[in-house]
Amino acid sequence: METTLLSWIIFSPMIFALVALLSPKSFEGSLRKLLLVQTLVGVLLSLVLYSQFDGNFSGPQLLHLVPWLPDWGLNYIVSIDGISLPLVMLTAFVSPVAILGTWPQGELKKEKFFVICLMALQTGMYGTFLSSDVFLFYFFWEVVLIPMFFLIGLWGGKDRIYATTKFFLYTMVGSLLMLVAIFFMLKTSSETFGHPTADFFSLSQLRFDFDSSSMWAALTSTQSLLFLAFALAFVIKVPMVPFHTWLPDAHVQAPTVGSVFLAAVLLKMGTYGLMRIALPLFPEAAAYFAPMFVVLGVIGIVYGAFCALHQTDFKKLVAYSSVSHMGYIMVGLFSFQKIALAGSLYQMINHGISAGGLFLVVGFLYERLHTRDLREFGGLAKIVPLMAIGFMIMTLSSVALPGSNGFVGEFPILLGSFERYPFHVLVAGTGVIFGAVYALKAYQLVMLGPSSGKHDTDHLTDLNTKELVAMAILTLFVFGIGFFPKTFFGKSDVTLDTYSTSLIQKAGIYESR
Amino acid sequence: MNLANVFPMVGLNLVELASLLPLFILSFGAVITLLLGTHKEKGHFWAYASGLVFIVVSLIFAASNLFLADVSLLGETLVFNSLTKSLSLMILVFAFMATLLTYGKDQQEGLLSEIYALILFSTSGMILMTSTSHLLFMFISLEIMSLAIYVMVAMRRTSRFSSEAGLKYFILGGVASALLLYGSSLIFGASGSFELAKIKAYLLSQENPSVIFYIGLALVMTSMLFKVGAVPFHGWLPDVYQGAATNVTGFMGAAVKFTAFMAFSRIVQEIVFVSGGEELKWFEAYLWIVSAASMIYGNFVAISQTEIKRMLSYSTIAHTGYLLLGFYAFKAEQSSESIILYLYFYALSNLGAFAIISQFESKNSKDLTINQMAGLGLKYPILGTMLTVFLLSMAGIPLTSGFIGKYGLFSSAVQAGEIPLVVVAVLTSVVSVFYYLRVIIFMFMKENENSPVDYQSFKSATVAAIISVLATLQFGLFPKAIIQFVKVIAK
Repeated sequence: METTLLSWIIFSPMIFALVALLSPKSFEGSLRKLLLVQTLVGVLLSLVLYSQFDGNFSGPQLLHLVPWLPDWGLNYIVSIDGISLPLVMLTAFVSPVAILGTWPQGELKKEKFFVICLMALQTGMYGTFLSSDVFLFYFFWEVVLIPMFFLIGLWGGKDRIYATTKFFLYTMVGSLLMLVAIFFMLKTSSETFGHPTADFFSLSQLRFDFDSSSMWAALTSTQSLLFLAFALAFVIKVPMVPFHTWLPDAHVQAPTVGSVFLAAVLLKMGTYGLMRIALPLFPEAAAYFAPMFVVLGVIGIVYGAFCALHQTDFKKLVAYSSVSHMGYIMVGLFSFQKIALAGSLYQMINHGISAGGLFLVVGFLYERLHTRDLREFGGLAKIVPLMAIGFMIMTLSSVALPGSNGFVGEFPILLGSFERYPFHVLVAGTGVIFGAVYALKAYQLVMLGPSSGKHDTDHLTDLNTKELVAMAILTLFVFGIGFFPKTFFGKSDVTLDTYSTSLIQKAGIYESR
Repeated sequence: MNLANVFPMVGLNLVELASLLPLFILSFGAVITLLLGTHKEKGHFWAYASGLVFIVVSLIFAASNLFLADVSLLGETLVFNSLTKSLSLMILVFAFMATLLTYGKDQQEGLLSEIYALILFSTSGMILMTSTSHLLFMFISLEIMSLAIYVMVAMRRTSRFSSEAGLKYFILGGVASALLLYGSSLIFGASGSFELAKIKAYLLSQENPSVIFYIGLALVMTSMLFKVGAVPFHGWLPDVYQGAATNVTGFMGAAVKFTAFMAFSRIVQEIVFVSGGEELKWFEAYLWIVSAASMIYGNFVAISQTEIKRMLSYSTIAHTGYLLLGFYAFKAEQSSESIILYLYFYALSNLGAFAIISQFESKNSKDLTINQMAGLGLKYPILGTMLTVFLLSMAGIPLTSGFIGKYGLFSSAVQAGEIPLVVVAVLTSVVSVFYYLRVIIFMFMKENENSPVDYQSFKSATVAAIISVLATLQFGLFPKAIIQFVKVIAK
């Protein structure tokens, strides 16, 4: 059990999926409960993982290795360290929250397939965060794509097919170029070590040529090309402006549970990939291109905020706010500052919680009123006080109010990056203000003021028990992380410290030239 | 007069005889199948049963032959080593599946019972073709294979496209065969041999091989590119794939392609990618352009197709492009391992896909359009899921064998340093994902409004599809054994 714990976390959803697949038709009504049980098992396993994780150790832990195709350098290697731990915990806790918060009122079509998709999605997400091999990472990265494709395409809104195709193709373009880069790294590793290998520990010993003597030389050097191939795959997923256009479509068309997973976990795969692969393996190229990424990150912050400000569709507003908030993580990562790098990791978790919560609120309202148009709500706070409170908390977390989790993420990023990019951070700071404007505007339009009278809001039901539990868990994390960040992120400190020290030192080679 | 000179078979020892046994069984079986097919009422069934039995028996002998020593016959013309024996085993698997695909479909499409015998005839031609490295013998076995296939294509009497396809394939195929023959004779004229090994030796020994040799090589390569359906020699392919009955299309897409590619790869390995004269670089460039053109053309044209068979036929052109990319492995002195794996996986998925499609075609000669497939996955979830697996495999999505195949092919090309072409392949793969997904989207995410498909269940075709789906997933999840096997035989 001890060394296979991570594999259990990854594959336990698949075991449940097999049960769901083989279950008879009469079991159809209980499948959703099976899904809930599965996510709770995930929570349980992740708690075991948390307790077994040694926070004083910076390297990979709980390693599990199974040779798969050693001749081709493809192995199944999973391990965990302080960077992946919070993301695994996020996945584990978001899953039951998403299931509880979107519990269907009536019959859903093709329930069995839906449940299996969600289980496969979890396997893919856990696998992506836990793999210690570039190829395995790619494998799970692709595995995530298929259930999400079906989730949007089968249970989505009116333009779901357009949205899901766009989502799939965007991600595919990036990931296939990543595959070519992986081939090249396998080739290099087999020339260096005598046998092909793609695990992170061996790859981190490789050094790819980088020449910064001229712009063209820098752009065409091996390291830059590899870095750009990986970075493209990741920034599409993040998504960074200008590769973000799939996100609003996907979010608007996806069913609520899909939106929650997409915002809370899937987007983090992109930033995690940057943090895990693109930056440490190609540090000089990353440092060379960093100013460009910081600028694009800042543009994302401001542009996302402006777009959100002018949306009338509630879901699109939250989607653009994601573009804006993910921009902070980009700025944090590419500033190559210790505090900002830590802040980026925190922000990944915090955005997962706040965006997940906001999408749940959108889902609650849509389930009850069948509209997402912000102009058609109004004055709901009196009728559904619990929902209003939940919405308020998520809004505060989203605008990064001190005391909420959002502050813990955004503040270190801005603080850390300021040293290096004062002007950029100044512009990004305006994004914080606009962020407050659109988030509070949305709250005001929905919950306060007079009722628009477009819908029969008098008989609106407040949150039921399941939805209340979902919001309560998220609230717990919002304030828990807000007030006691050390308790939640303490185990990552040592890893983050070692990681950023070595990254800054490696990137410094370029800068000292 | 020595009898052995008149009839060389007399001199065969036991091992040599055993190596030929699968071929004997196939040819003998074909005759028996022809005879059984004449039964008045149950001719189709008896021909089907006998075809199946003879393929299985041949398969068993071919498998047991793997344990025998290597044999070469007719003065090194026919070589049965572990590679060629394994390839014939794979071809027999395709023939087995094709026979399963045919039963039921034959009566629906008005195919005669002779089709089972034709499958056996063409299979024996294929086995000969993969077992030889003698250009003239290659031509003869190509003809044995192709003549049977021409008839199979033209046999679909319910469709007016069928005779057009048959004639087109026959005439153009004849031109290609003539090119092969003429090219081989020019090569013979220059090098003095039809044997690839001896031609290679000639090439290595000469400072400047004669121009005649290069003209001959160009003709041989062109004829091979025609047979595998590469751009710009692909014109026949969509029409033939569409005009032939679906089971025949499946057989062609799997077995004919496999055979032609194996013969082609042998030629390329021996006499193109060698460190010979500078002029050979031109032939590498030729392959480069054809490969890129096939990938780009096949994938982009497939997008705009409305009929599924035509779409798959354009996608097969694209797959030809990927496979040509695999030839660059020879540049790094690697074996044909990744090509064999890709072909085998692709052929299985292809057969499976056509096994499903054949059950949804309507009786009147109209072809199945992608629009018609709307809602099909919901109505027939098992068949729909299987077709999804095949399409994902062809698109090269992980967990399927297609991914392993594509991975091996692309990575071997990267190892050989051919990165630009790999990037082309990767980007066009994204395009291919789009049209494969479109079918899945139609099957599962759209409701069928007007034209429902005529579903006619063919049990044996379903069995073939189940075998393919199991193989696709097995090789996708646990590819170690087959990769090891192919690695050993390809050495």
